[in-house]
Amino acid sequence: ALVSCHRHYRSRPTHGIGRYKYLLPKEAPKKKRDRVQMKEIDVGTEHEYGDINIQMTSYDMCLVEHFAQYVHRLCNRLAVRVKESYAMPTKTNEVLFLEERGSKMQLDAVLTTHQRVVQISGLSSTFAPILLEAIQSNQPEGVHLLVKEHTEADFKSRLKSRPELEELLAQMS
Amino acid sequence: CLFFFLSSWLPQMVPSRGSHWQSSLLTLRASLPMRAQPKKKKKVDPRREQAQKDRMKKKIKKLEKAAPEMIPIEDFVTPPKYLDNSRVRSLPPLSFEETERRVLLMKRWCLFKQKQDKAEKQAIQTLIAAQQEALKELRLESEELYQAAIRRDEGLFPFEREGPNYTPPLPGYDPPEGKCVDITKVYTQ
Repeated sequence: ALVSCHRHYRSRPTHGIGRYKYLLPKEAPKKKRDRVQMKEIDVGTEHEYGDINIQMTSYDMCLVEHFAQYVHRLCNRLAVRVKESYAMPTKTNEVLFLEERGSKMQLDAVLTTHQRVVQISGLSSTFAPILLEAIQSNQPEGVHLLVKEHTEADFKSRLKSRPELEELLAQMS
Repeated sequence: CLFFFLSSWLPQMVPSRGSHWQSSLLTLRASLPMRAQPKKKKKVDPRREQAQKDRMKKKIKKLEKAAPEMIPIEDFVTPPKYLDNSRVRSLPPLSFEETERRVLLMKRWCLFKQKQDKAEKQAIQTLIAAQQEALKELRLESEELYQAAIRRDEGLFPFEREGPNYTPPLPGYDPPEGKCVDITKVYTQ
């Protein structure tokens, strides 16, 4: 790093000319497998809301994705800090209906429910109704909107369940 | 009277038939003088329990060391049947008028969307301006009310709203009976 392609001899006064990496801020070494840690949940002050989840649910994936993108860009434009923007696992439902003449349940359709979440923080109390108004006016058909505060339970629902660990913990206590 | 004779003849060691044999055996043991050391496993029991607990704690530590994983999202994984490259769509060539028509339509659509977007941004700006003016006037009126208005609304969240529908619900519609079965794949670590 000290010597570039044009060699400056160590005794010359031009030795080390062109060094700049020592001026940059120190970057923490990135671990190979970063632990999926929960980011701190902001509670918020009297005039500002803390972490808020805007959850959009629908059977149609394209609509929900586009709406999530729209909400994210709207927040960027209105200088609202977007902490995270992720997708929740898809839920699949089998709809069975009873035939008119018969007692057997027949398969009607297989529906997939998709959910996207945009997490914002630091929303001021005077601006919140305006943002909600803007989101509502552009809500597409069939997309269910839910705006709520972020909790640890919401984060835990994204993680895989560990039945063995839970069993052992139950046995211990 | 023969039975009584037989029972009195029988030695005391044999358990009598009248009572439940288990309880008679126990009373027999208690009645017998125990001279030998009782072989009760007093020392090994707590040690065994302790060892069991240690093993469980070790297992728990090992499982807890592994970082919790996120559930993979099926939306972002393309199903393998769409990865096949052999199927290619062959479109017919378009005429000059058709391409021109499409390009002009696209331009008109872009202009329309731009106007719509601008109008939306303008609406948001007017909303903010009106709100600020109203708050300023309120402050001049009374400080208390202004402070109360600035505060955050606890009843606002959670906020839920269903999207608009294409058609209203049909009156007098009788849906067939049925049920919904959740067949989501459960991932465990």
